[in-house]
Amino acid sequence: MSRGAAVLCLLLPLWGCAFARQDTNEPLDPAVVRSLVPGTTTAREVVERLGAPTEVVQLGRRSAWRYDAATTKSTVLFLGIVNFANQDTRSDRLWVFFDERDVLTHAGAWFGTHRTQYALPWEDVHEDADNAARDAERPGLVP
Amino acid sequence: MSRRRAAPATAAGALALALAGCISGEYARATFDEPIPAARLEQLQPGQDDLGGCLAALGAPHRVFEYRVGPDLSAGMALLWVWRAQRGFGVELSSPSDEVRGSLSFDLDGIDLPGCMLWFGPDLRLEACRMGLVGELLAWRRRPAAVPEP
Repeated sequence: MSRGAAVLCLLLPLWGCAFARQDTNEPLDPAVVRSLVPGTTTAREVVERLGAPTEVVQLGRRSAWRYDAATTKSTVLFLGIVNFANQDTRSDRLWVFFDERDVLTHAGAWFGTHRTQYALPWEDVHEDADNAARDAERPGLVP
Repeated sequence: MSRRRAAPATAAGALALALAGCISGEYARATFDEPIPAARLEQLQPGQDDLGGCLAALGAPHRVFEYRVGPDLSAGMALLWVWRAQRGFGVELSSPSDEVRGSLSFDLDGIDLPGCMLWFGPDLRLEACRMGLVGELLAWRRRPAAVPEP
């Protein structure tokens, strides 16, 4: 047996791979977010549709509420001495802004949890075409 | 020992340490959300664009802060977007022995993340926008003041 083959045999039991996924909060529903109408929707109605926010920020007499969710996908390739790891996190975010009468004035949303991918650190992910294909698959995102 | 004979010995030593779980190397990448393109930020016009237009252009921020609160409780706001796309090599040394405890790790990850921030006045008109490291963008924030004497 050559020396290289011997080293290979010693390292072989150390090789392996692992995948992990972590979700924080439920992804936001784009249809529910679209139902929020500035100038009309009240804070009470927002709570009825989306539940309790993650964060409330006081802005003088105004306030802003944050709703969010995140998905993390991790990939690790164990090769004994050297390991390769990739961690990809994408989030859904919604900020709703209320005036002093608790009526919605502005809303801003971003939907990204469905774009999270398992990959190795040298792989290209999140190209425009890839993101567009994943957007099309998420219910309610592309009207 | 000649260099030619030392190389296999070094490799064997590294292999033995690796097999004992004492040394490992890592090449890792961590990505968090998507960067705001600089070109999109440059299209925003301070003094002209408002909160609604900026939210439509950039999507929801990661954080919102109270900004410039007046005596009548009128206030502006600052919106922060943050992202991460880092990759680098790392080495970890550790001791499995009960007599020699401890571990040492080294990596090339940055300590601050890139981001961008937009400042709006009480009329919700864009006052300024900046791209940079989050630690620098938030440098204007002060820790909460101490409780006054009774």
